[in-house]
Amino acid sequence: MIHEDMICPFCGCLCDDLVIETEGTEVVRVDNACTLGSHKLMNAGTHRLKSPIMREGGAWRDARYEEAIEYAAGILLDADRPLLYGWSSTQGEAQGTGVSMAELLGGVIDSTTSVCHGPSILAIQEVGHPGCTLGQVKNRADLIVYWGCNPTEAHPRHMSRYTTYADGYFLENAFRDRKLILVDVRKTETASIADEFVQVKPGGDYAVLSALRAIVRGREDVVPPTVAGVTKEQLLRVAALCKEAKFGALFFGVGLTMSPGKYKNVRNAIELVDELSRHTKFTLTPLRGHYNVYGSNEVFTWMTGYPYAVDFSRQIAFYNPGETTAVDLMARKECDAALIVASDPGAHFPKKCLEHLASIPSVLIDPMHTMTTPLVRCQIPTAVTGMDAPGTAYRMDGVPIHVKKFMDLGYPTDTEIIGSIFEKVKEVRHP
Amino acid sequence: MKALFNTGRTSAQGQGLEAKARPEYMEATSVCMMNPVDLMDLDLEEGERVHVRGPAGEVVLTTVLNEGVPRGTVYVPMGPYANAVIDAGTHATGMPDYKSCMVDLEATDDEVKTPADLMEAVGGVAYRGDEE
Repeated sequence: MIHEDMICPFCGCLCDDLVIETEGTEVVRVDNACTLGSHKLMNAGTHRLKSPIMREGGAWRDARYEEAIEYAAGILLDADRPLLYGWSSTQGEAQGTGVSMAELLGGVIDSTTSVCHGPSILAIQEVGHPGCTLGQVKNRADLIVYWGCNPTEAHPRHMSRYTTYADGYFLENAFRDRKLILVDVRKTETASIADEFVQVKPGGDYAVLSALRAIVRGREDVVPPTVAGVTKEQLLRVAALCKEAKFGALFFGVGLTMSPGKYKNVRNAIELVDELSRHTKFTLTPLRGHYNVYGSNEVFTWMTGYPYAVDFSRQIAFYNPGETTAVDLMARKECDAALIVASDPGAHFPKKCLEHLASIPSVLIDPMHTMTTPLVRCQIPTAVTGMDAPGTAYRMDGVPIHVKKFMDLGYPTDTEIIGSIFEKVKEVRHP
Repeated sequence: MKALFNTGRTSAQGQGLEAKARPEYMEATSVCMMNPVDLMDLDLEEGERVHVRGPAGEVVLTTVLNEGVPRGTVYVPMGPYANAVIDAGTHATGMPDYKSCMVDLEATDDEVKTPADLMEAVGGVAYRGDEE
């Protein structure tokens, strides 16, 4: 069976033009997706856990859904400071139920934002977000800047759908008319097609952004001959390209948010965009990783007022990244139970956090055997949103997209499982 | 040799994400991409192993030559291997130093551990119920 106009549930691009061919419960062909999306869709049906599993006396055993749900509710109710973490590769509907449950439990709810674009949000809270939709970029932008990111490997279709290789309504020959600037600490494949490749010394992004701001402001006299390994000549060329553009779009990755300076780097990038917008039209968009990590920020914000790292222990929503973020809570050995949903801290958190996670009661809700599986006490497999479950997801530019279902493998959805756990919690703690 | 330890995505790491128990994921995340000159300084050929000691621990990785990686830095795909050496401190931002810790590199003949070994070393219990 051929399914057209399907949505790819991999990265924040949420490509909506996939053609997926299925035979029974198997995906046999995926057209239009990148290598990452194809791998997810082609394989995601084959590596599923068959049923919930639980740890007993140093070994794993199969369990029933009811038993696993009961266990999950039990450990959350028994905990003084439960952590509900993850939420980026799941439906908006499940995220909403998660927030309600965290509130009733007096726990902390955090998404993978805290270890990807959390610092970008901190910067946006300081100086605002000059953003736009990807459609605007595709149709209008004649200058693209990729800073601290490598779209060729992390968002492989970003360039063909929205930037370098995309046809634009207001550009006659988009590929030739659109200039590309890449700023990175290493020379990646993306560099080979850039009009300007700016190689910054690691940790030098803040200084380079400041130098560009000075030049755009007409104060090139204060810029030294080289800034973090970048020559003044190149900085002048880059600033000129930016000012000459009719519409510039800056995309940035975790090269800014994870490097020294963290959110201050992003703040400086936003202020450069602000400066450039006095000369031309310029926008800025974080390249979001998980397909619905933006959705977690939206859902958390409209329900609690805060985008991630929300702590309900005071019976009101409290937010203090650095204190209420998952890595910090685990490193301080503060949380005493964890519900991990649709994410893999086992693969992406520092070792010290994993040592604590392994020592507390915990449940993982994830369709697949992941790096987090060995660290938890119980795992509940669910349907993959975008394959065997529909749901809402937010693209990296904040556009909500209904992700479709094209097969049924008999698994419950994340929303159903979290809803069942929430029901058990409510039986004990009435809202 | 001292080097700046940088981590991030690669397409091989991304392809392995949905089947992390498979050997492809281990292969994709247990590599250390290095500048050819640094590799020569360590007296290593591409494919030989390097012992990496960072602020929070140590790990053995397979070297991969990459001319795009500047001298004095190494690039390791995000995953359980990279995180074995990264400290959990976040300078009150919530974000660990995934791209800016210093490590010591040394040639080694030790084997690369499996992801299951790494998870058991931090107190986990490997799940083998889905092995064929």
